[in-house]
Amino acid sequence: MEQLLTTNVATNLYWFGRHLERVEMTLIDVMALFDIIIDGDKNAGQDYYARLEIDLAYDSASDFLDNAIFGSHPSNLAELMSNARENAIICRAHIETDAFGETIKLYELFDHASRSANRVDYEFIDSALSLINEIWGIKTRGLVRRKSDHFIRLGKLVEKVDLHVRHGKDGEELPEYLNNILQTARKIAPNAKLSIYETDEEANLDAINELIHHLVVE
Amino acid sequence: MIEESGKLHEKFWEIFSRQDRQKVEEFQQYMDKFAVNFNLYKDGNFIERSLPFDVVPRIIGREEFSKMQRGLEQRITALNLFLEDLYTEAKIVKDGIIPEPFIHQAKGYLKEFVGFSPSQKIRTHINGIDLVKDTKSDEWVILEDNLRVPSGASYPLSIRDTYRKIYPEFFEALKIEPIKQYSSYLRDAMNHVNTGGINVVLTPGRYNSAYYEHSYLAGQIGAELVRAAELVVENKVLYFKNYDGRRIRVGAVYRRLDDDFLDPDFFNAESLIGVPGIIEAYLAGNVAILNAVGNGVADDKGIYYFVPQMIKYYLGEEPIMHNAPTYLPYFEKDRKYVFDNIDKLVVKDVAEAGGYGVMFGHAMSKIQLEDLKTIIAANPRRFIAQELVEFYDEECLINGELSPRKADFRAYVVMGEKVNVWECGLTRYAMEAGNYLVNSSQGGGFKDTWVMEL
Repeated sequence: MEQLLTTNVATNLYWFGRHLERVEMTLIDVMALFDIIIDGDKNAGQDYYARLEIDLAYDSASDFLDNAIFGSHPSNLAELMSNARENAIICRAHIETDAFGETIKLYELFDHASRSANRVDYEFIDSALSLINEIWGIKTRGLVRRKSDHFIRLGKLVEKVDLHVRHGKDGEELPEYLNNILQTARKIAPNAKLSIYETDEEANLDAINELIHHLVVE
Repeated sequence: MIEESGKLHEKFWEIFSRQDRQKVEEFQQYMDKFAVNFNLYKDGNFIERSLPFDVVPRIIGREEFSKMQRGLEQRITALNLFLEDLYTEAKIVKDGIIPEPFIHQAKGYLKEFVGFSPSQKIRTHINGIDLVKDTKSDEWVILEDNLRVPSGASYPLSIRDTYRKIYPEFFEALKIEPIKQYSSYLRDAMNHVNTGGINVVLTPGRYNSAYYEHSYLAGQIGAELVRAAELVVENKVLYFKNYDGRRIRVGAVYRRLDDDFLDPDFFNAESLIGVPGIIEAYLAGNVAILNAVGNGVADDKGIYYFVPQMIKYYLGEEPIMHNAPTYLPYFEKDRKYVFDNIDKLVVKDVAEAGGYGVMFGHAMSKIQLEDLKTIIAANPRRFIAQELVEFYDEECLINGELSPRKADFRAYVVMGEKVNVWECGLTRYAMEAGNYLVNSSQGGGFKDTWVMEL
């Protein structure tokens, strides 16, 4: 039977994928930067956040972890997780019970850590990444993918491209990501189209936005 | 006084005593993961809180529950017949069983719906009947009928699911009635009245106190959870707006909002959570609304007084279950009794719900009681008075210690092709010892209810 979704639910599924991917990618990058800072490149974290238009101050590697994850800036991961939780609550009828439960647990992990006097450490990041892996794992367990799964995957892929472009990463992976976005969009709407630009990354982001507007009617 | 069911409780404690006490914490963590929330508005602020629960279940013997099932089936059948009669021929009024002014002054009576009969003539689809067990008679007593939008069924479903995961030993060793069939009762009832199209659950939205329940039940019964903006009426037909722009016909709406807010074109024009035109579609017979519009009249605490008479009138039977002794100050004889005994009675404002507007005579000063009499005399239809029913406490595990708390029981009765009394229900307990108010909106908690046999 065809799965029906309201625009509100479809949008929240998409943003659930985006927020969760953003949290995961940031944690992975922050952990890598933590190592680089320990090894002596003190500005590595500042440079990374400058590309997100965030002025991040810290005086040690541990301080960097705290401020990167819970500092008062738009990339604060407790806030992003709070958004992911809201997305999950709104579309919980279309998210597996276990994935929903792990999302609430992940939110509580961030919420608790953000209010704790203790500093963030690698153990916290490991726990968070394990939970995220668990959520993605649950999302891929079933043999049949439904439209709700495709909307989450679409959000995940779009966030990946968005971060990729913002950080000016090597363009080699980008065409593959864009192609994945198109294939996922076509599982939602078989006639979906995505213009791919080899050199103009901003144009690619505009094309993705156009694709999303085409898929979800306001 | 604590309710005991002899050997049934012994069996529970025998297994519980062998359990690792750490599991209670595990139980809490598991429930927290699934955001079993009952949200509150306090001082204008939205407060998201998990509904407090207790790990010790209420246990009701199978035989005792069977009697309750028969009584509730009888009661809901009569109430459905009453509503159908009231909005069509009104024979019960013409025959003088219920005084006419009593009906017309009921807040939930909607004269605009006179002459309309809903799909399959069913009006009381999902019902929550509040009961307590009287310590004197050791019998269940009915306190209230909730026939508009009774909430709470998702909480026992969630706690049972958790219970089975954390303490499987009980379910292996004891004969406890399963409860998952509630979803199929609900789905079957919706399908039975569906006028052609999909089923939806209409929620006021994310910030409603029972949003958790709306989303949970929608998922369980395979209906779409929608807000008003996601539905549209065209040519007296209700449609679901799909994300891709398509419109899908809706045949049944399980609405989780009161009549007043359902349709800004028909009721409260300020309502932002209603669907414009949905009443027009309903009156045209193009969509079923669960529960029926206008049920509030039977929910009225004053009409409750007449339910035993409805049972005799429509079914020609004696009521199997009884109301708490109730007096209507509207009748002169009752009013005199109420005024003479007001310090021993519980006075309820018929327009209030959720534990609001309940006044315990024994807890009021002489001046307050005199003031209350003046208010009752000025508007006797607005109040009922009941004898204070001393109801049982249930053992609750609070901060690691067993402690008694007053507890009521909300039974759920779902009416579709058949009347199904769910083999579970919501046991609600008061937060403080000795308090009689157990409502969730008053800070009360809940526990699982096991219908069990040896």
